[in-house]
Amino acid sequence: MEAFGMTAAQLAERGKDNLPAEFLSKDHLIYSSPATLSFNSPGAQGFGVKRAGLAVPGSVMLLVAPGCCGRNTAISSVPGEYRDRFFFLLQDETDIVTGRHLPKIKKAVKEVVDFLETKPSVVMICITCVDALLGTDMERVCREASEYAKVPVKACYMYALTREGRMPPMTAVRKTVYSLLEPAQKDPVAVNLLGEFATFDEDSEMFGILEDIGIEHIRQLAGCKDFEEYKKMAEANFNIILNPECRSAADEMNKNLGIPGIELTRLYDIDRIGKQYALFGNAIGCEIDTKKYEEEARAAVDALKNAYPNLTFSVGEWLNADAFELSLSLLTYGFGVSEIFGTVTNENFNYIKAIAKLSPNTVIYSNLSPTMLNYGIGNNNSDFRLGKDAAYYHPGIPGLDWNDEHKPFGFSGVKKLFRSIKETLDVENSANVEVVE
Amino acid sequence: MKGLLKYLSPFAPDQSGAQAVFYDLGGIIVISDAGGCTGNICGFDEPRWFGQKSRIFSAGLRDMDAILGRDDRLVEKLKLALSQVGGEFAAIIGTPVPAVTATDYRALKSLARKKTGMTILAVECKGTALYDEGAESAWEELFTTFTKDESGEKENTLGIIGMTPLDLSITHPEAFVKEIGREGGFDKVFPYGMGAGLEEIEKAGRVRCNLVVSPAGLKAARMLKERFKTPYSMGFPFFKSEEKEAFLKAAGKKTLVIHQQAAANEIRKMLLEADGTSKVTVATWFRLDKEFACEGDLRLETEDRFRDLVLNGDFDTVIGDPLFKRAIKEFKGNYIDAAHYAVSGYSGE
Repeated sequence: MEAFGMTAAQLAERGKDNLPAEFLSKDHLIYSSPATLSFNSPGAQGFGVKRAGLAVPGSVMLLVAPGCCGRNTAISSVPGEYRDRFFFLLQDETDIVTGRHLPKIKKAVKEVVDFLETKPSVVMICITCVDALLGTDMERVCREASEYAKVPVKACYMYALTREGRMPPMTAVRKTVYSLLEPAQKDPVAVNLLGEFATFDEDSEMFGILEDIGIEHIRQLAGCKDFEEYKKMAEANFNIILNPECRSAADEMNKNLGIPGIELTRLYDIDRIGKQYALFGNAIGCEIDTKKYEEEARAAVDALKNAYPNLTFSVGEWLNADAFELSLSLLTYGFGVSEIFGTVTNENFNYIKAIAKLSPNTVIYSNLSPTMLNYGIGNNNSDFRLGKDAAYYHPGIPGLDWNDEHKPFGFSGVKKLFRSIKETLDVENSANVEVVE
Repeated sequence: MKGLLKYLSPFAPDQSGAQAVFYDLGGIIVISDAGGCTGNICGFDEPRWFGQKSRIFSAGLRDMDAILGRDDRLVEKLKLALSQVGGEFAAIIGTPVPAVTATDYRALKSLARKKTGMTILAVECKGTALYDEGAESAWEELFTTFTKDESGEKENTLGIIGMTPLDLSITHPEAFVKEIGREGGFDKVFPYGMGAGLEEIEKAGRVRCNLVVSPAGLKAARMLKERFKTPYSMGFPFFKSEEKEAFLKAAGKKTLVIHQQAAANEIRKMLLEADGTSKVTVATWFRLDKEFACEGDLRLETEDRFRDLVLNGDFDTVIGDPLFKRAIKEFKGNYIDAAHYAVSGYSGE
């Protein structure tokens, strides 16, 4: 059987409530290829729960789990700055059935704290599917361990079993990393950017816009040099939520610290970005002038369009964008999109309907369908690939992974993306020029 | 504290060992997990995965699948996948989730066989054991299921049992295999699982002898000896010349070798052949088979014991995976690297 794909028109006609089984991961085995690595092993590259849990400055992590759960955190595979911050309490067969490991946790925490030359700001205890099934009360375990080892102890829930549930692991860990903040006096000129575990791309106009409206302190978790700076995040006047997985953490911060939040989405459609900033300005009672940034973004799009007017893209989902929103933006700018590798959700189905109108024959695939084993790797029907998964399917064409940890945002993201595409193609074309002597 | 790792990180688990045995044989491999275990295997423990397409799938278990024990859903998914991508057989490999919910693998295997009409293999891994335990069960399951009862004369061939990248720390053993055949005067060599497929496994009863290159392969080799009277020996002819050269610097000295038993024994043999006064102790975190152990060889279980052995054992030299150096920074002797993929993920290639 060939790789299963449907055109945007076919999918739009079926509707979001009538998706074929190949698009519903609960109904089939999950295919595992390098294109799915970020899905199947969030810690293998980028930020998984374990690395994310260490975003709090000065923290260390104790993984309490069977050995298999810690394997991809092997010392040889984690970045150097994390190597001395991971510890493991391995569960044996009896532990995973009876839960007899629980009384050992507080002693293990103390042994780790005593072992370290500098007392950690917090010990993050990462637990996995086993404790999800055992129904372990980790909040209680952490309280006991904290009293015993005299150090803050927090739980990170790496429950892969609940990935499509109400509180998936990456949502839960975002809640955990902000949970050490305590109520503080508000600073009217301070805001937090919530959402990621590395700082946002510093070229983003977001920083300039916030400064223009009088914000003096823009704090991000990954930008905090030490625990003292981290604690100042509690002073923020408001939070800007830049990743939907942070909604739950923002709700908690609103409830416990009195910091309200406003959500902004990473978009690649210039008009929609402008509208979003206008709405943001209305919400906080400020007028925001984005004309300069908007013009720069549009110039970058136009430059690519002028140089390569008939460009057709293959767009993946392992990148700093919603694959469908980015595809729709590319189509709106007049480019072609031959295929999209993406996960169809309620939230992005409107984009698919819009894509169906502009480019009904764009084919949509699910990376996770077993049929993707039969996808014809190298059968290129596009000129450029976007996303690390698209790179796996189309190794022979120029492209960008576009998945830097320092994530782009706003007009500057558009500008950077389109400039990078043009530069990549320029280099490719210059390499292909035959030199006549 | 037993089970607490302050210096090291976890070694390859049983499910990684089991899948490594089946990886190259053309079947569908289903990791019975929620996704993370498959990710660990593909993203870390199976170096071949990045270079070739494979039929490794995650069962994609969710909390209610586990709580309600919905094995029938897993079998339906397997049936669908087989119809979509085919496969010579299907192997279901356990993880902590089915271990907690006490999945009955015999029943699951039987149900899957009936519903799909395919040969089904199952290995009851729990994620709490080490890779050699999973590999041992997988080798046994493989030869039990596929090797035919054949009579007739033995052929002048050699079977190699126990080859996985986790044991060998390489993914392309072809040149070594060729050399083994040439040196031993065999017409053919069958490197099961890394070059020799199901057809050769079916005919495993006719090989003249088996070479076991990891203790994980011993159980299967003993079973084949019982069924077909095929003799076996242990060896590890996969070290490169530059590695051997480095090891020989320890000749004539008091040396501790830490590796899987077949590889460690090979290093000991080299050192003793080079200098009969060498004093070599073998230690392993994995299986230590009595038949191939010398007096004083030992199995390691905790970091504390490992540190005590190295720091107070009066050794001139330690030979082992580079990762171990993290735990013994105070060791004043000479340390020679011998990569073991199942320990650190460092490859010898």
